[in-house]
Amino acid sequence: MATQTLKSSPTLKPATATATRPARATSARSRPGPGSLARAADTTLGRAVIQLLAVAAFFLAWEVAVRAGWLTEFLVGAPSGIGRVFLASLLDGSLPVDTWYTVIEAIIGFLIGTLLGSVAGLGLWYSAFVARLVEPFIVAINSVPKIALAPIVILWFGTGFVSKVALAVSLTALVALIAAYQAARDADPDLQALLASMGASKNRIFKSVIVPSTLPAIIGMFRINIGFALVGAVVGEFISSQRGLGHLIYAASSLYDLNTVWVGLFVLMFVGFLLYHVIDFAERRILPWRQVTTAGQVQV
Amino acid sequence: MTASSVQLRLDSIRKSFPGKGGSVPVLDGLSFDIFERDFVSIIGPSGCGKTTVFNVIAGLLEPDSGTMTFRGEVVSGLQGRVGYMMQKDLLFPWRTVLQNVMLGLEMKGVDRAQALDTAREYLSTFGLSGFENAYPKMLSGGMRQRTALIRTLIMDPDILLLDEPFSALDYQTRLYLEGVLLDAVETFHKTVVLVTHDIDEAVALSKRVVVLGNRPTTVKSVHEIGLDARSPIGARSDPRFSDYFQTLCGELEIQTRQRAA
Repeated sequence: MATQTLKSSPTLKPATATATRPARATSARSRPGPGSLARAADTTLGRAVIQLLAVAAFFLAWEVAVRAGWLTEFLVGAPSGIGRVFLASLLDGSLPVDTWYTVIEAIIGFLIGTLLGSVAGLGLWYSAFVARLVEPFIVAINSVPKIALAPIVILWFGTGFVSKVALAVSLTALVALIAAYQAARDADPDLQALLASMGASKNRIFKSVIVPSTLPAIIGMFRINIGFALVGAVVGEFISSQRGLGHLIYAASSLYDLNTVWVGLFVLMFVGFLLYHVIDFAERRILPWRQVTTAGQVQV
Repeated sequence: MTASSVQLRLDSIRKSFPGKGGSVPVLDGLSFDIFERDFVSIIGPSGCGKTTVFNVIAGLLEPDSGTMTFRGEVVSGLQGRVGYMMQKDLLFPWRTVLQNVMLGLEMKGVDRAQALDTAREYLSTFGLSGFENAYPKMLSGGMRQRTALIRTLIMDPDILLLDEPFSALDYQTRLYLEGVLLDAVETFHKTVVLVTHDIDEAVALSKRVVVLGNRPTTVKSVHEIGLDARSPIGARSDPRFSDYFQTLCGELEIQTRQRAA
């Protein structure tokens, strides 16, 4: 039974572990030398401090460069001005409203596009014939830069909310379809054969093998698609709208109001960052079996 | 052996696959019998179609011609009647050990509470209590294969189909699992068909060994293995072990020379 125990942890035999495997994290950590500072700072708090310092240094250098006259505020803006615009638009309520519009457009577009695409892509697993039949059409449609559709989408769906959602859908649906179909095709044929040998139906194999084994790829695609959905919403707002961060940026840049442009960009960056982490969180909840510890692995 | 004790009969099974220059025949009229509670190993030169035989019996491939008779009844395949085990453990990575073991019971539509009880009972019999909620990734190769064996046995199949199930394991783990398999087969009264390239394993475990010829394959010979010891180590220390081993090696070697000529 001794051979049946869990993979031995590095702490099991510290003496031999240090002698034969100096690369193991435990032995390396206790050894002083070059890189020990990086190791000491490599905690959540340590990294956060360094990251915040880097951001602060960047804005400080920017501000100093503008004040010293090395950069023109008219062309690049200045952190102090950006702060002022940010506070003012936050307090008068216009920034939260613009952000809300863009975020809702992107999220609804993301949900519709990703859902439609994933379902269609997984559905293609059912029939290799249909999949082969539609493949050239998918490739052809996918090769069109979807942003080029924006003018037509505005014509069809108007200048309001719906056209932005439609644009986000057009950007995300095919990405989802291709990712889901590819993942379904890559699902382990031996697992499918195993279920077939148990007398499982095709629907059963779909439910028990195809869906769970494609989930990691599909959730991975969510990260890409949330970005695309934001692109769709913002570009739609660029072309024609009364509201949203895209509108804010576009209107401000035509007035050479660089500080407002930066406010819009930074808020967009923050929104994208936040949504990315929401997906990260969801992934950890949905795929617990992927989160298995890597403690026993050699650190390279 | 009387005819009534034949559990599965393969009669002139032919199967070819489409290749570059037309169809390539793989099985060329394959016939052999498997008895009730038999332990048959199928060995043969590599690429001779051992796995094709395996897939035909499992019902995953349909033969071009020939018949399979299961307990006197002509069948097209044994879906739902066989337990299937390969070199890859084929555990579902997104299922815990317990959920993996319950897979076959779910397919059969067994009541969930009852399936849970049965699964826990099997896990404890095979020394895997405490690992119910572990994911396969966290287990050693031997434990994973043991889980796969439990998953196969728990469905109570008529025939266990094993395709080199232990060949990826180290020798100690392998001996141990061979023992577990023999015990389980004894306890649960199972018939086993073991496809292997390992003559040593075939002799140590089997009651009979079916030797296949080169592709297109027919049965070259069938050997009864008369070792009394019912443990993999005991069988290997039997003085007749090496006779069987050499006889079977000889059969495969001759074929290798023929192919080279």
